[in-house]
Amino acid sequence: MNLSSEQAAVRDVVREFAAEELRPVARECDAEQTFPEDVWDGLAELDLTGLTVPEEYGGYDADPVTYAIINEELAHGMLAVATALSVHGLATSCIDEFGTQDVRDEWLPEMVDGRPVGAFALSEPEAGSNPAEMSTVAEHEGDEFVLNGKKQWITNGRRAGVYVVFAKTDRDDPGSITQFLVPADTDGVSVGKKEDKLGLRASDTTTLIFEDARIPAKYQLTEEGRGLSAAFQILTGGRIAIGAQSVGLAQAALDAAVEYAQQREQFEQPIADFQAIRHKLAEMQTKVTAGRLLTREAAQKKAAGAGMETAFLASQAKYFASEAAMDVANEAVQIHGGYGYTTDFPVERFYRDAKILTIYEGTTEIQKKIIARHLLGDDA
Amino acid sequence: MKVLVTVKEVAAVEDEFQIAGTSIDETYLEYDLNEWDDYAVEEAVQLQEAGIADEVVAVTIGPERSEETIRMALAKGADRAVRIWDDALEGADLLDVGAKTAILEKVVEEEDPDIVLSGVQADDDGFGATGVSLADALGYEWAAVVNHLDQDSVESGTASVRRELEGGVEELTDVELPAVLTIQTGINEPRYASLRGIRQAQRKEIAPKTLGDLGLDAAAVENELELTDMYEPETESDATYFEGGPDEAAGQLADLLREKGVGAQ
Repeated sequence: MNLSSEQAAVRDVVREFAAEELRPVARECDAEQTFPEDVWDGLAELDLTGLTVPEEYGGYDADPVTYAIINEELAHGMLAVATALSVHGLATSCIDEFGTQDVRDEWLPEMVDGRPVGAFALSEPEAGSNPAEMSTVAEHEGDEFVLNGKKQWITNGRRAGVYVVFAKTDRDDPGSITQFLVPADTDGVSVGKKEDKLGLRASDTTTLIFEDARIPAKYQLTEEGRGLSAAFQILTGGRIAIGAQSVGLAQAALDAAVEYAQQREQFEQPIADFQAIRHKLAEMQTKVTAGRLLTREAAQKKAAGAGMETAFLASQAKYFASEAAMDVANEAVQIHGGYGYTTDFPVERFYRDAKILTIYEGTTEIQKKIIARHLLGDDA
Repeated sequence: MKVLVTVKEVAAVEDEFQIAGTSIDETYLEYDLNEWDDYAVEEAVQLQEAGIADEVVAVTIGPERSEETIRMALAKGADRAVRIWDDALEGADLLDVGAKTAILEKVVEEEDPDIVLSGVQADDDGFGATGVSLADALGYEWAAVVNHLDQDSVESGTASVRRELEGGVEELTDVELPAVLTIQTGINEPRYASLRGIRQAQRKEIAPKTLGDLGLDAAAVENELELTDMYEPETESDATYFEGGPDEAAGQLADLLREKGVGAQ
């Protein structure tokens, strides 16, 4: 794929940053379940915290292909950081897309500088793949909204200074879901339990609880009832990002497997000389390449602005690349044998991290549902 | 005040490569900004950020391909660049120090900078002489292997520099401007180019110049040096395995190190 000189330079710098600053801390952050905050400040210095913000607010306003490339390279270094950044990007996207001029002026310049960190609160304990079943309400009282409810799976939950929150303005009307901006220091907002996860352990995933949390009415981002359709539009971009992160993680697992297979000797020869291993590597490479091409195709389609077609491709990219990452990480552990099952090598972390890719931002099953719906003309 | 930084795109060989005669085929090469020059660029940009330098100009001798590398210097903050190349340079097997000096001397005369910053050496050909040779040709003062520059001193017209000598010794030197300083790694911490810097760099000028533009002809790049051979030296590994528990192994290692002269008085 031909990249512009700017895209190629961005790729090179982010690749170097990921190798020099992310990868060396990945193991420790995973083991201690801590997020590398100084690395986040480094991302901000590179302008990566302003990827989805227009230049007038100091942002970089990355085109979709560049956005995919950056997500791939960061995930090659450390998926937890790539995920945290892409969620921050979802929040800045929503504020930029739906906020008033005043709200944009208030929040975007500082978020571009890295802090406050943004988070995105859509899922609930009882509303995962079907967000329409959410129960969080935001009741309009005078010039305020009063929020009550509980949100689940909030990436950057403790780190964030600002949340983009979805709530019903009428608890009995499923069509009243609306998007709000909620500052983290609002009275009545508290961060709940931090999840103890299989992978992505450096990422801070929590619940979020609203108890009579009052926000000014100006923080209503979308029109009443337009919250979900707006979210799906932003999530299409998010799915391309997850596809790209999947490719980055798969490439990292493949790189580790190739290196190990060439070094490790058994039966007096490198295991890379055995056809069983060579076939595995060939399959892994093909899946990485296919995932990358599908993701780039979706990004290019998004750059061209097509709506349903983009969502159709974004779902294919997210589904395929995430499942491919799972397969590639699995085989990378297999090639490492017993050593791959220990924390002495990074492939066990890749394997644990890869699983989330097939779950968040729409499970594999939901992506297939979207793909089939479009294919069969049900969404026309 | 104007700062000129000489930068070079250097070739690095991949892990596996083959030598054909006195060169290594392109397929085994990767190109990047010379490491020492990266520190020189950072030092220049810091002078600019401190309000001491008004303009930072990067100059390179290299083919069109090298623009990608030079643009990284622009992305980090250099204002513009000059790139010298033409058929005579394309056809030259080797550019020796004399040829580089002749070319850079003309560029310095045109640009008239107060300070020239140059990496101590280039990663690939490693002559380690261009900066000092350039100062000599220009009649500039110079300081080599600089690992600290007192920014405030620069404004007063004298560069106070710290130089790294062998054996862990350092010396402080005052160098009258204009001068050429050859920059050692470690003088600063080179930044990553920011994304906005990269975008701005796409619009910054890289002025192409030929030898003719500089008032030189092909004779200027004729070599007095001849590359006669290139090979990989034979390597031998000599591994010693220590048996026993940690204490025993550590004791054996200490004996071996002492035997080799480590820690000897």
